[in-house]
Amino acid sequence: MAMIVVNGVRREVQAPTDTPLLYVLRNDLELTGPQFGCGLAQCGSCSVLLDGKEIRSCITALSAAVGKEVTTLEGLPGRWAQQKGLPQAEAAKTLHPVQQAWIEEQTPLCGFCQNGMMIKATELLERVATPSVAEIKEAFTTSGPSAHLCRCGSYTAIIQAVQRAAMVMGGSR
Amino acid sequence: MNPKNNDVNVFGATLSRRGFVRTGVKAGGALMVGFGMVGIDGLKNSAKAAPTRNSLDATLPESWIEIHPDNTILIRTGKSDFGQSTTFTAYRQIVAEELNAPFEAITTVVMGDTDRTPDGSGAFDFLGSGTPNIRKAAAYTYQALLDLASQRLGVPKSELSVKEGVVSGGGKSMSYGDLVKGQQLKLTIPVKGDLTSVMGLSVDGNPPMKPVAQYTVIGKPFQNSVTASKVAAKETWATDVRLPEMLHARMVHPKSLGSTLVSVGALDKTKFPNSQVIVKGNLVGVVAPTEWEAIRAAQQVAGATKWKDWKGLPGRARLFDYLKRDADWKTTKVTKSDKSKGDLAPAIAGAAKKINATYQLPYMKHAPIGPTVALADARKDGTVYIYTHNQNPQALRGEIAQMLSTALDNVVVRTFAGPGHYGRSNGGNAGAEDEAVILSKAVGKPVRVQWMRPEDFQWSTQSPAAMSDVEIGLDAKGKMVAYQIDHYMPAMQDDRPIGAVLAGLPTMPAPSEKGVFIGSTVNDISDPWIYDGVATLMERGHGTFQVGQKASPLAVGLRDHSMRTPGQFQQNFPRELAVSEAAALAGADSIQFRLDHAKEERVIGVLKAVRDASGWETRSSRANAAGGAQLRGQGVSVMFRSGTYWACVSQIAVTPSTGVIKVEKVTVAVDPGIVVNPLQLKRQVEGGTVMGVSIALLEELQFDESGITSRDWQTYPILKMADVPEIKVVLLNRPEVGSYGGGSEAANALAAPAIAAALFDATGKIARRLPLKAEYVQALLKV
Repeated sequence: MAMIVVNGVRREVQAPTDTPLLYVLRNDLELTGPQFGCGLAQCGSCSVLLDGKEIRSCITALSAAVGKEVTTLEGLPGRWAQQKGLPQAEAAKTLHPVQQAWIEEQTPLCGFCQNGMMIKATELLERVATPSVAEIKEAFTTSGPSAHLCRCGSYTAIIQAVQRAAMVMGGSR
Repeated sequence: MNPKNNDVNVFGATLSRRGFVRTGVKAGGALMVGFGMVGIDGLKNSAKAAPTRNSLDATLPESWIEIHPDNTILIRTGKSDFGQSTTFTAYRQIVAEELNAPFEAITTVVMGDTDRTPDGSGAFDFLGSGTPNIRKAAAYTYQALLDLASQRLGVPKSELSVKEGVVSGGGKSMSYGDLVKGQQLKLTIPVKGDLTSVMGLSVDGNPPMKPVAQYTVIGKPFQNSVTASKVAAKETWATDVRLPEMLHARMVHPKSLGSTLVSVGALDKTKFPNSQVIVKGNLVGVVAPTEWEAIRAAQQVAGATKWKDWKGLPGRARLFDYLKRDADWKTTKVTKSDKSKGDLAPAIAGAAKKINATYQLPYMKHAPIGPTVALADARKDGTVYIYTHNQNPQALRGEIAQMLSTALDNVVVRTFAGPGHYGRSNGGNAGAEDEAVILSKAVGKPVRVQWMRPEDFQWSTQSPAAMSDVEIGLDAKGKMVAYQIDHYMPAMQDDRPIGAVLAGLPTMPAPSEKGVFIGSTVNDISDPWIYDGVATLMERGHGTFQVGQKASPLAVGLRDHSMRTPGQFQQNFPRELAVSEAAALAGADSIQFRLDHAKEERVIGVLKAVRDASGWETRSSRANAAGGAQLRGQGVSVMFRSGTYWACVSQIAVTPSTGVIKVEKVTVAVDPGIVVNPLQLKRQVEGGTVMGVSIALLEELQFDESGITSRDWQTYPILKMADVPEIKVVLLNRPEVGSYGGGSEAANALAAPAIAAALFDATGKIARRLPLKAEYVQALLKV
C-alpha cells in the first residue's frame, strides 16, 4: 500500500509498490489521461508531471512517486487555477491554457499521443515563458528520456499550439 | 393522401406516408415523438438500448438521420473516424448542406458501433468520391421533409424553400422540429452491397443534390467536435473501457512467424497466485485480475515456453534477391492499366536517350503510437461484445462470427477512440480483438487483451515491400515517347485474424490467386497515369504470395496490410522519381518537363501552384556532385488519388560527409475540387507530409529468417519534432469541379519521391530505394 498525492488529492493505493505508476493511475485511480504507448519510455504517451517535471509513468514505479506530487492531464486545469489563484466557480470551467490552445489550433489528429505533448508543453512553459521554435523542438525531442513521438504528424500543429499557449500564459502574468 | 397506400418513387427511393405516430421505438411506452427515432445512443444507456444486436436497417431514413422536435439532428455512420475528423466535421457539413440546416444543429454523431449504425465499411474514402452514403441519405431525407412540409403547410413542394432548418412557402413557415413532431415518414432508402464486406453497404439511386453554387456550410472551417473531449481527458478511449469482473490479459506469441508450440511454460503460482494460462492450438495467453500481474506472469510463462525453431523468411538482407529470383510471379494474373497504349518495343528501341532502372521499397509498419487493445465479453448466452478501436467494425463482426461459427446476430462491436493505425484494421482486425474473444470464451469473463510494444511490431501486419522496373525512352528533343513500368508486390491485404490463425479456428483464406477483390494476390495498377502526352505506355502489375506464408507451419509469415495510400505509394515512388530522372536526362526543368507531358488541366494547375508557392528554381537539374560541405536540391512529385490532384516540392540540404539529409521545406498543393473544410484539410495534409518525410528518411521493417526484429521505436524509428521541415500547404478550392475528393490519404505518399529527386538534384546520385538513411546516402555519394 502506498500514499501518493495526485492532482492535489491524497490517494491511498493498494497496488504493489513496484507497479508502474501508469497502471496505478489508469486502473486504480481511473485517471486515464496518460496512455500506454510503449512501456519503454520511448514515446511519451504516458507522461505525467512529478513535482512539476515530466516523467514517463510507464517505467516509474509507484514507490518513486510516494511523497511527491503527481499531475496528470486531468489535473492541468486545477494546476493552472491554483497558479493563477482563480476563484472556484471560474476554475471549474477553465481549461489549462495549453489544453485551450490545443483545441483552438485543432492540434490532435488521432490524439493518442497528445497527453504527453500537453504535459511536456506545460513543463516547458512553466520553465520558459516564451520559448523559441528551436527551444520547443529541443523540449519535445531531446530534453526527456526520449523524443515525444506523434505518428499522425501533428508536430507543426503542436509548435503552433505551444506558441499560442505561451501568449495566453505570458499575457496573463 | 391515403396514409397506407401511397408509395411514390422518388429518385430511386420509395417514399411512403406512414401517418401519424405517437411514439418512437423506445421501450416502456415513453413518449418520444419525433421523426424517425431508433434506439437510444450512448454507452451509458447501453443496457436499455439496442433491441437487436443487428445493425440498423439501412433502408430506413431514421437509421441515418434523426431530426428531433427541438431542432437538433443526430447522424449515424458505420465509418469509424481515426483522426481524419471527417465524421465530426465534413459529414456534419455535408448533411447540414443537403438538409439546409445549420451545422450546429447536428449535435450528435454516432459512428462505428455495429448495432447503432446502418452501413459498415472502413475508415477510408470517407468522402466517397464526392457522394458518401450519408450525403445521399441526407438528400433523400430532404425530399421526404419537403413532401411532409407540402402536406402540413398545404403548399406545393415546388413552392417551398428551406433556410437554416425552417421550411417556408405560401406565407407560412415551420421549423424542421415542429414539422416532424408527431410524424413519421416511411422512406425506403435503396441500398446495395454486403454489410460485413470491406466496402460495406452503399446507398443507391440518384437523389437530387444541392447545387454547389448554393453551398453555405461546405467550404468553411469548422472545429472537430471530438477534440475538446480528447484534450480535456473526457473522451472514453478504447484503452479506458472496463467491465465488471474483467480480467487483464497478455499474450505469449510464438518465438517466430513459423514456430509451433512444443510445451507451455508452467505458471509460477507462488508469485502469480491469481493468474491463469490459456492455451488453444498455438495461441497462448495469460489472464489475471490486475494488469501488472498479467504482464509479469506472461513474461514468466513466456520464458519457460518452448517453441519449434523456424527459419523460412529470406531476411531483410536477401529480400529483393528473393523477390526477384525466388518469388512466384507466374501463378497470379498480370494486370495492365487501362491507359496502356501503343507498341513499346520499337518506341524504346528508337529512342535517342533511355533510362532503365529498378526501384525498391521496404516493408513498413503502420506503427500506431499505441499497441492494439480490445476488450471482449463472451457471454453465457453465446453472444459476444467487443469494445475496441477499429476501422471496420462490421467486417470485424463478420470475422468473429466466422471464427466462432456463430450467427452474425450474436456479435456486436463497439468502437471507441484510439491510436490511428492508417489502414491496418480497415479489413476488420488490428490484432487483439479475436484473441480477446478466444480468451474471454475460455474463462467465461470479460477479457482485455493489450499487446505490448514489441508484439505490435512483430505480430501485426505490414505494408508490403515492392519493386518496380522502369524503362523510359526520350526523343532527340528530350520528350518522353515511351514509358514502361512493371510493378512487383506481394499480396497487400491479409485480413485473417491472427489469434484465430494461431488457435486453428476458422478464418477467411489467406490471399491467393483465386481470391477475389482484395483477397487476391493480384497487383492492380493503383497510380493513375497523368502524363497523357506520352505516346506509348505500358503499366503492368505483378502479384505474388506473402513472403514466408506458405513455408510457415503456422501459415503466417510476413502478413501484409494496406497502409495509407496503399499500393499507390509503392507505384508512385518509382514513377515520379523516374520522371525526375528523365527530366534531368532531357536537360529540362523537372516541373516544366511534367507540364510538357501533362494534358489534364488540374494536373497542370497543381504543378503551377506548387511551383509558385515553393520558391522552386526553374532550371535543369543541377546534378552537381562537385562537393562542398552541404549541397542543396529540389524535387517534385505529382499524384492523382480519390478525386484529388496533388503536387509536392521538397527542398533539402545534404551533408555528403555524413550522408545526413535535412528536409528543409515541403510544399504541397492540393486540388480536391471542392474543399469541404479548409482548417481540417490543412492539418491532414501537414500530418501526412510529416509521415511522408518519416517514410522517406527512416522507415524500414527489420526482419531476419525467423521473424520481425523491429521491436520498438529504436529499431523502427519515426520522425521526431526536431526534424520536421517547414510545411506549406496550398489548398486549391475549385467549386466548378462539382465534387469533393479525399484529403487524408496521398499526403503521406508525396514527400518520398520528391525528396529522392531533390537528393539527385543536389548530388547527381540517384537513390532508387528507401529509406534514405545516412549510411545509405553516404555510401551512395562515395561511389
